[in-house]
This record gives sequence, C-alpha cells and structure tokens, in this order.
Amino acid sequence: MCTAAVGVLSHFLQRHGIATTSISLIREQSEAVHPPRALWVPFPLGRPLGVADNPEFQTDVLRSALGLLESATKPTIVDYTREAPDGGGDGLWACAIELPTPEVSELEASLRAEIDLLMPRYLEARRRRGRSTFGMSGAKLEQIDQLVSYAVAVAEGGGFDQIPASATGRDWTHPTPMLIRFVVEDLRAFYQESVTSDADAGPPSQHDMHAWIFRETALGRLIMQIAQLITDDDDPRLLFIRGLLIPEGFWEGGPTFGGPPPGEDPREFLIRSRRYLQGQEA
Amino acid sequence: MVRLSDLHPEEAEHMLQRAEQLRRRQFDHDATPWITPRPLTESKIALITTAALHRRDDPPFRFADSGYRIIPDDIDRNDLVQSHISVNFDRTHYQRDLNVVLPLDRMHELADAGEIGGVSPMHFSILGATEAFLLEPSAAEMAQRMRDLGVDTALLIPV
Repeated sequence: MCTAAVGVLSHFLQRHGIATTSISLIREQSEAVHPPRALWVPFPLGRPLGVADNPEFQTDVLRSALGLLESATKPTIVDYTREAPDGGGDGLWACAIELPTPEVSELEASLRAEIDLLMPRYLEARRRRGRSTFGMSGAKLEQIDQLVSYAVAVAEGGGFDQIPASATGRDWTHPTPMLIRFVVEDLRAFYQESVTSDADAGPPSQHDMHAWIFRETALGRLIMQIAQLITDDDDPRLLFIRGLLIPEGFWEGGPTFGGPPPGEDPREFLIRSRRYLQGQEA
Repeated sequence: MVRLSDLHPEEAEHMLQRAEQLRRRQFDHDATPWITPRPLTESKIALITTAALHRRDDPPFRFADSGYRIIPDDIDRNDLVQSHISVNFDRTHYQRDLNVVLPLDRMHELADAGEIGGVSPMHFSILGATEAFLLEPSAAEMAQRMRDLGVDTALLIPV
C-alpha cells in the first residue's frame, strides 16, 4: 500500500511544482502508476533503506534514489541490485532471554512477569538509542501496568468498546475499539526493543520476531486470545482489528483480515467498518 | 532478500490486487509535467515518509487518514512515534535506527559533503495505507509549504 501511495503522491507533488524521486518496495505497484522517478529496492517491507546501523549501505541507497534526479529524463523505475547486508533470513535469530513459561491461566500475572524481566533490557536499549517507539497509545512507560490491565480485560471478554476502570484516567490517543490495536502495538514495541537491546547482535528477521512473540511469550498468547474473541464475535467489522494485530501467516484459521458478510458491497462494508473502528458508530 | 515472492502469499496477493486496482483506475500519469530539477548540489530536499510517524503530542493518524504531519528536521528522535495501522512490515530495524525509515542523518551527511544543496527544515509524514487518490489535497498543501521554504525537491519513502 505504501509504495502505491508514494507513486500517486509523486504525481500530485510534481503537478504542484515539486520535483520528486522515490523508493519503491513493491515494483508491481510502481509499474501501475508510473512515478516520475523510483528506485526499486529488494528489501523487506518496513526497511526502505535496507538495514539498521549501517550508514555506508544506507547512503548508497540514498545516493541511488537521489541520483535519478540527475540521470532520468522520463518516468523511470530503476532496480537497486545490492541485497541488504543483514546476514538475514528466517530461522537464524534466537532470543537471548529465557522467559518464564507462560502459565495456561493467569495471563495477567504471566505478562507482568515477562515485562518485569524485560524492563532492564528495554531501559538499556532506550538509553543507548536515545529513543523508543513505545507510546503510540498515549501511555507513558510508567503506565505500562494500565496497558496490561486494558489488554487483559479485552482478552478475557471485557468487550472491545469499554475501557475498564483499572485503565481509566490515561490520555489514550485512540478511540475504542481501535485503541486495543495500539495498546497491543505498544506492548509489542516494548518486547521487541527489549530483546534487540544487544548492540552487537543483528536484529531478527520480521518472521523470527513474530514467531518468538507468538510461540514463546504471554504477549503472543494475549494477542491470540483477543483474536479468538474477535473471530467468535458476530460483528464482522471487528475482523479488521484481527488483521491489524496478527501478521499474515500467524493466524492458523487462514487470512488474518476478514471481509464483508455475503451480499454486502465491499466498499460499503469498508466505510461502516471504518466508522466503527474510529469510534464514530456503535 | 525479500521480493513479492518472499512475502506471505496472502500479503503478496493483497499487494498485487492493489497494483491491479491502480491500473484499473486509469490514472492519467501522462498529465503530470516532467520537471527537470536543479543539479543535486543546488537542490534543497525534503523527505516524505508513508510510515505514519508523528510527534508524541500530535494526534495519531486515524484509520484511512488522508492528512499529513510535519516532522521538523531538528526533531528530538525520541519525540517520534508511529501510528501506522499495518502489522505486516518490519519494525525492528526502525526501532534500532530511525535512518532505515527516515534517513535524516544520512541526508545531513550528504549536505555537509556538498553532494546535495541542503536539507529542508521540515519533512512530512502520511499514512501509506490510506487510499492514495485521497491524498491530493495534502499533496497540494505539502508542496506549498515546501515552496515557501525554498524547497524544490522531495524524496518519497514507503514502508
């Protein structure tokens, strides 16, 4: 989707007098919109410059994209041929932290135990990087207990449209039911930043990261429990949220996103789902 | 190495469907004027990311948001959060190093080395999952802001 947006936006900007060049992650989408200048790169989604902590490689990608401003004389898509030097591939990464085995019951206690264990690594990573991506729900780190309370309340059947008393008073930045997606994403960011805190170890592939979360952590169990409630719910609009919680390939029942009920126009379904997810419609 | 064939089949199919929708739309790309930019050494360049990055105090991007957010060039990196809705892209590299998504440091290195004319004091962020054709009003606004700042060139970066 993002490459499509880049292609179309390039046209709009040039129509308003701004010269554009761009990076493309999905060549087929660029080919469909003929952006003025695009450098297609063979990197995973989410990594347009290729790899973290490698200025030389990032600069080479950047020079190649900017170079099209001087070399192209008509709409052009050029392939960048170097692979990202991340030592990559799936199945290579192993988490250096052994978490307590999540109990079958006591989801909340298991989550809190994991967070306690991960906290020193999270703080270490944040200090060294000078930044953290935690906080998209509006919560501050010291409010992580409220995140857990809210997520567990949802996972245990408290409903998608209510914030339990134990989690009220926070400055949440999203309406329910969409809030659950960003609460989970904050917890996921906390876990991911914690277990990649070792500066000398390369980050895991996206697949390995997700596989660890879903197979080895109480957070993964929490997400699956929420997804199961969504699946069991009669409201098809909620299925969007399942698709925003679980990446493709990790929901055993098939595609993570749902679709319109039989007979409903997909566009109408999208519009009413969007209103519901934004908290504008019950 | 990740190409379309390396994505999960559901995700790859989704990406191809999107490409097909774009084709069917019959967007008149020939109507876009070709711009011959100034030499790079004289170009002042802004970055536009589709990663839905924004300041912690900014309202987050909503589902299907067609707006944009401003990222000051000198932003405190810890002031950036991301409200992109998709879970189907890598975040671990971005969590380690902002430059893999928004290469602010790399741009300044190129400017300091004289390879580009300068870096815009303002960059822009959108939610790339939004239907692309809804972005025209935001594009017009961003272009106006760039021109006001003497910025003539943009590098657009997806996630």
